[in-house]
Amino acid sequence: MGMRFEQDGIGAAALRLLAGTGSVIALLAAWEVLARAGVVSEFLLPRFSDVVGRIWEDALGGVLFVQIGLTVWRAVLGFALAGLVGIVVGVVMARNRGANWFFDPIVSIGFPSPKIAFLPVFILWFGLDDSSKVLMTVFAAVFPVIVATAAGTEGVDKYLIWSARNAGASERDILHEIVLPAALPQIMTGLQVALPISLIITIVSEMVMGGEGLGGNMIQAGRFADSLGVFAGIVQIAIAGYVLIKGMEILRRRLLAWHQETQQISTF
Amino acid sequence: MADASAAGAGGIRIANVGHTYRPPRGRPVTALEEVSLEVAENEFLALLGPSGCGKSTLLYLIGGFLPIESGGISVGGTPVAAPGPDRGVVFQHFALFPWKTVRENVLYGLEKQRLPKAEREARAAAFIEMVHLDGFEDSYPSQLSGGMKQRVAIARTLAMDPGTLLMDEPFGALDAQTRSLMHEELLAILKRTAKTVVFVTHDVQEAVLLADRVAVMTARPGRIKTVVDVADVGGAADAIRDPRFVEKVDFLWGQVRDEALAAQKGGAG
Repeated sequence: MGMRFEQDGIGAAALRLLAGTGSVIALLAAWEVLARAGVVSEFLLPRFSDVVGRIWEDALGGVLFVQIGLTVWRAVLGFALAGLVGIVVGVVMARNRGANWFFDPIVSIGFPSPKIAFLPVFILWFGLDDSSKVLMTVFAAVFPVIVATAAGTEGVDKYLIWSARNAGASERDILHEIVLPAALPQIMTGLQVALPISLIITIVSEMVMGGEGLGGNMIQAGRFADSLGVFAGIVQIAIAGYVLIKGMEILRRRLLAWHQETQQISTF
Repeated sequence: MADASAAGAGGIRIANVGHTYRPPRGRPVTALEEVSLEVAENEFLALLGPSGCGKSTLLYLIGGFLPIESGGISVGGTPVAAPGPDRGVVFQHFALFPWKTVRENVLYGLEKQRLPKAEREARAAAFIEMVHLDGFEDSYPSQLSGGMKQRVAIARTLAMDPGTLLMDEPFGALDAQTRSLMHEELLAILKRTAKTVVFVTHDVQEAVLLADRVAVMTARPGRIKTVVDVADVGGAADAIRDPRFVEKVDFLWGQVRDEALAAQKGGAG
């Protein structure tokens, strides 16, 4: 958005990328300059180039991919389960008065409350391994999906449903073929809110519980006064988060190719 | 019975129908009261009335979308109980499925009717061509103009080959030129495939131009105020200059105007 570039090949693509990430590059350059100038000690702020070097080292040894893979796996698994449960509960809430009576107050209380406060309970119940980290993630990420799905399902245009009924669709057809596709833009928005929450909660859980994974490693590095390791962890988390969010945006554009918002983007 | 024969085999009989909306909060609203009307097979009836008089309600009762609380409606001799593909509806705001392309929108009902694939495809193509949208088969509704969307909606409904066509102000959202073209197209289509039509509108000229008979409804609660035969006028674009056409339009205008004024007073009180 904002600036426009002629679409004339790789040069323009590179220019677009630069325009989109210019502020990040400027920030990293400032970091490097500040660290090299010796304004603060290497321990408080290691050079960005050294941090990249550390990540490169970890990548060569293969450790990096194991750590990132573990964290992303937990976050994505938690996110997927939250999405599944959230969509089912949201649809049921919107279509069943009894379910709405039951879930609505729970969601109203649960959505704004800090879910991470339940972490000790999850540790108590499920131990320190993967399952408690994933379940903690599901618990934190499920609320925005429930709320978005319920709102989207309730808001489906009555005439779309009548139109399908007129064509001879059964009530089951209508749920799958009309209500869910019509609510998809809002469901996708709920999922887009849930994805960063999943990553955040997974990493915080790793930090508290320890063990393998980006969060656990960063806390470990902190304990050993390995400031390079701490900053490397931050950069790795940022990259993992960026890739996940971009992937989600691409998925949204694919699934909602019919939607007005997508066509405005594609005509740009 | 004289009235039974008037409705004919494929006609519509509406007898003493009433309808009351009961919103979850607020007072119940009586939309229709003691409405009786007959539409003969292959007749084009326009329902005319001020906004809020219950003409759409009557249409959706015939469609089977709303429960019939008092009186009875039968279409082709069968009492209406639920929506069905024998009564094709064209909705005011098109009600196209935005995630389906033009072709997929037209195919949807044919799939629900379990027609063989080859026949579905052939029929969809034929009806898309009939409304002059060939070349736009793979477009999504959001890429089409209002007139094109309404043509898709009409093609989708006609492809199901319903004996009865229920149209709820189908051209209300279109500009004057497009509307005039749509009138010609609709009449041409009906000349090829005869259907019983109930057409809701608040446009008097449109009603006289298209319909065989025009039923004027009163302000809420809606009843049938008068039914006027207009089969001898209209039917072509140049009919609007015919003095007999103008006379019928003027008469109906007077009837509707009285009710619109009554509706305003009712709204103020």
